[in-house]
Amino acid sequence: MRRIVLRRLLQIIPLVFAVIVLNFVLIHLAPGSLFDVMTSEQQITDPAMLDQLRHTYGVDQPTWVQLVKYIWSVMRLDLGFSYRQNAPVLDVIMQQLPATVILMLAATAIALLVGVTAGVMASVRVNTIWDNLISLGAVFFFAAPSFWLGIMMTVLFAVKLGWFPVGGMRTIGTDNGAFADALDVMYHLALPATALGLFYAATYARVMRASMLEVFRLDFVRTARAKGLSPARVVLAHVMRNALLPIVTLLGLQLGTVLGGSVVIEAVFSWPGIGSLLFDSVMSRNFPMVLGVLVLGSLLVAVANATVDILYLRLDPRIRLR
Amino acid sequence: MNRFSRRDILISGAGAALASRLAGPAFASTATPKRGGTMIASWGGFEPQSLFVPPGGGSSPYFTSTKVLERLFRLTAELKFEPVLALELKPAEDFRSYIVKLRDGVTWHDGQPFTADDVVFSAMEYWKPISGGVSLNALESAEAADPHAVVLRFKAPVPEFFLKSVLAGKSGLVIPRHIYAGSNIITNQVNNMPVGTGPFKVKEWVRGSHVEYLRNDKYWNPELPYLDRLVIRWWRDPASRSAAFEAGQLDIGTFNPIPMPDIPRLTSGGKFVAETKGYSNSAWVTTIEFNQRREIFKKMEVRQALMSAIDRQFIADTIFFGRAHPSVGAIPSSNAIFFTRDVQDYPFDANKAAKMLDAAGYPAKGGSRFNLSLVSAGWFEENIKIGQYVKQAFEDIDITVDLTVPDRATSLKRIYSDYDYDVAISNNSGSIELIPGTTQCYTTDGIVKGAAFRNATGYSNPKLDEIVARMTVETDEPRRVALARDFDRLASIEAPLLPMVDLEAVTIARADVRNHSMTADFMGESWAEIWLDR
Repeated sequence: MRRIVLRRLLQIIPLVFAVIVLNFVLIHLAPGSLFDVMTSEQQITDPAMLDQLRHTYGVDQPTWVQLVKYIWSVMRLDLGFSYRQNAPVLDVIMQQLPATVILMLAATAIALLVGVTAGVMASVRVNTIWDNLISLGAVFFFAAPSFWLGIMMTVLFAVKLGWFPVGGMRTIGTDNGAFADALDVMYHLALPATALGLFYAATYARVMRASMLEVFRLDFVRTARAKGLSPARVVLAHVMRNALLPIVTLLGLQLGTVLGGSVVIEAVFSWPGIGSLLFDSVMSRNFPMVLGVLVLGSLLVAVANATVDILYLRLDPRIRLR
Repeated sequence: MNRFSRRDILISGAGAALASRLAGPAFASTATPKRGGTMIASWGGFEPQSLFVPPGGGSSPYFTSTKVLERLFRLTAELKFEPVLALELKPAEDFRSYIVKLRDGVTWHDGQPFTADDVVFSAMEYWKPISGGVSLNALESAEAADPHAVVLRFKAPVPEFFLKSVLAGKSGLVIPRHIYAGSNIITNQVNNMPVGTGPFKVKEWVRGSHVEYLRNDKYWNPELPYLDRLVIRWWRDPASRSAAFEAGQLDIGTFNPIPMPDIPRLTSGGKFVAETKGYSNSAWVTTIEFNQRREIFKKMEVRQALMSAIDRQFIADTIFFGRAHPSVGAIPSSNAIFFTRDVQDYPFDANKAAKMLDAAGYPAKGGSRFNLSLVSAGWFEENIKIGQYVKQAFEDIDITVDLTVPDRATSLKRIYSDYDYDVAISNNSGSIELIPGTTQCYTTDGIVKGAAFRNATGYSNPKLDEIVARMTVETDEPRRVALARDFDRLASIEAPLLPMVDLEAVTIARADVRNHSMTADFMGESWAEIWLDR
């Protein structure tokens, strides 16, 4: 077990290296540069000033030199300096990463809770009106673009009903202690996390339903029923536990896409996470910031995937035996 | 020692300006202001990269920094210069030097006194090398005559309106010497939490969310600011800003904060107002630019024909929902000082355009006169639609068009670095003063590879350069206005680049937000005099 965990963690190193090299090359292949964007914003027309800034931003060096320098600084746990934000990359990311992690965790929790519950209900009431309604809902939330869903939820729950705030992460200017602040964050989190989580809930519901129906047909379930166990116990203790394995696999696979989805949701709800930072950085070709976000994002996803793998070992003893 | 004339009458608004200079800012008010309250503001763009970006950095850091840092003067909506940190500006008889008298009793937010040394440092270490650029090429020196007076010396005569425009403009923020001296001004970390003399102090910047300012209780005008707290929040999505207004979570938004179709709906109930004043010193236009490096566009008749092929009223009415109007000449019509209608205009006439192209030697052989690459800069959503319309308009007169709408970074590279286009649709934002922002789009010195929003067309005309060179040193204002109009006439006839439509910028505010939009550049003012009628 320890060897498997260690191997999983070591795999993160080449992954991060590949993320750096691939994205560095991609962002340098894209037309335009941070220098173009910054000098246009600053309306600089003095050739001497343009040369001075080229040197300051390090874009007067060959691309391969910039890449080697970047890898060397990452190896020293330094993600570089963003001239655009006028701050170290790590400082800016660490200011905004917690908001994204909170949003991702909340959305994933909602997706699991809603998706698994709906999938179980649909499988237990298969081919009934409940099954059809759940399937219809799953198709709807799977097909609805998350930005549209976010705007619709804002109009209904924030503007018309006034139940939730339109955006942001906390009420500005209040300091009522840790507990009240945590509640305030949860209050602000409700709409964005739901808008993001419902897409994944739809996926989980469909997979859970199919997985449950498959397990229902297996011999050990028939045996459990024959032993006289209550239907609830059969479903929860025997069928559901075995049907959860594909969900765990999906969970690991989808953590990266939840991070991607948060870019859109953060924009709609003005959520101060790294999604907006990443979008702005890509649009402005701010490669130190893009690489910084992607390196930390890939680390986050890799660690989460390793955790899922380890969870899998606990849930399915057959894998350990192999 | 220089002899200064007694001539301190301002170019525009002589008596009133003198009175205001003696009395301090004349903050307009429609009722007795109420003190206190928190105002939530936003604007039609994104979060700034840093709260203060010394070389400029675009509208967003300009919005956030100007609540903290101040200038020597400001320009009112009536185009009169009002004193802020300065009390007066007097030119010498030869206009090669000016003396600036500074306000006494001003302190920086950290308690240090504001003195002439700060202005000398700002002039020589910040304005001239970093923010002012070519505007201050002629500045030779700045010296403190006493703790509250500075002498600015120039290599050549400098028009008073021009200098005041620079000092009241985007590049004229005064920065504290005791904080920036000896450091790299561009990368100084204080730029993320700027220290100024302004009416508001930065309390907190939550990246990705908002910046919170608190009232500066030691502001040099003890009556101001009226607000206790100002919060600038960012929503990336205009529809979300509309929702925030409707939910009562946003009080004011500048520079087109919401989708244009939402404006009538939001303002019809009387709860919100839409205000177009306050943007004359930052007037936006959508331009069409003809690359002179292409043989076809070296012919003036071709450029003129293509101008006639575009129905600019259609663009204004359909794409901008009426919140724009066809441009006349190179100077925006909101420029009350230099604008003239006595220029070459190009009313829409596709038949005439086709005939002009025939006469220029480009008949429609085999259904196409020629091919062109049209690049529409994709930083504004409207540019996508304008690109599509212009493509159709050109195809109507048998020109084959390859349209691309690249993203911002790619557009900048293709248009302003690589000159990789035949015809480009871009934008420009001009101040009232035409030099250098407007003139450098046409003059030879504006051809600088990589310099955005300048002369990317490669157009060079010694006659036009000469007019602008004379404008640069002409200190008699009526003669300077006449030169500006000569420039406008020539630019409109030659048409290397011309504004197609003048854009209307809109501020949306709750009806109980008072005293906003009172200056020529409202977004970049301190907002000290705004109050809430609640």
